[in-house]
Amino acid sequence: MINVIKEGPKYIVSEVSITEANLSNSDQFKAELISLLDQHHKIIILDLQELKYVDSAFLGALVSSLKYAISLQLDIVLVGLRTDIKDLIKLIRLDKVFKIYNYADDALFAINKD
Amino acid sequence: MQNCAKKLEFEFDNSTNALIASLQHMLEYITGIIPTDTDSEDILFRCKVIITELLTNAIKHAGENTTLFDIEADARRLVIRKTDHGAPLYLVDIHNHTAADQPANKKLISADPLNSLYAHWESENSIRFISEESSIDDFTSVEQVMEHFGILIISRSADEFTYTYHKKDKSNVFKVRIDL
Repeated sequence: MINVIKEGPKYIVSEVSITEANLSNSDQFKAELISLLDQHHKIIILDLQELKYVDSAFLGALVSSLKYAISLQLDIVLVGLRTDIKDLIKLIRLDKVFKIYNYADDALFAINKD
Repeated sequence: MQNCAKKLEFEFDNSTNALIASLQHMLEYITGIIPTDTDSEDILFRCKVIITELLTNAIKHAGENTTLFDIEADARRLVIRKTDHGAPLYLVDIHNHTAADQPANKKLISADPLNSLYAHWESENSIRFISEESSIDDFTSVEQVMEHFGILIISRSADEFTYTYHKKDKSNVFKVRIDL
């Protein structure tokens, strides 16, 4: 469900391969994300460009995973969001919680600048 | 499934497999009935997130029975109803146990640095949900952020969002109104 496509000293770039993220796969999504954090101990740049449909269960899994990342002094950065998914994230103000960029390169630039 | 001039009735079997097709079916109907002089992009976005969460809620809470969706519209408003015969929403029982420092007909049901969600009792078994944005824009504690967003998403997307438990036939009705 989550594939690592690039790895740097401080980050990994991963892409989500599913098109629908809902309560049927949100637990697995969270488990894979937490496993990535444990294995690599790096900031995760999560490319969601394949996602066409999300629900509150997926957003809950994302927030829960972010809390875990922050507890490890890491982060989860979102890129490649469709407009309607970005609008949903803004609707419940999660854009105040997640760093969001249009492209992975934008996120990499910001991370490498820090 | 039954189509009328301005009303759609749709039976959902509460299965995850039917989720996307059910959403698309209802959105296609709405696309065909909303007036052309409205901001259809905004209306369809709101309908999409509302129906998505109502379907998710049905899968989680409606049990083995099916869930009935009906969608009605006139020139001024669109109403989406979800009816099932699962267990009543837990908030119905809470009404009689409201804390002394809160008005008897209004209760804060969840809050974090971003959002607050209130239940306002219209009557003994009828609740209107109200969401408010918290005023803190910069915060550092992600730990405080809630992880359950279904009711918040619907409440924020709707012009009115209510829940009613009908004792007579033991039905739960979520009703969402969107002004056109």
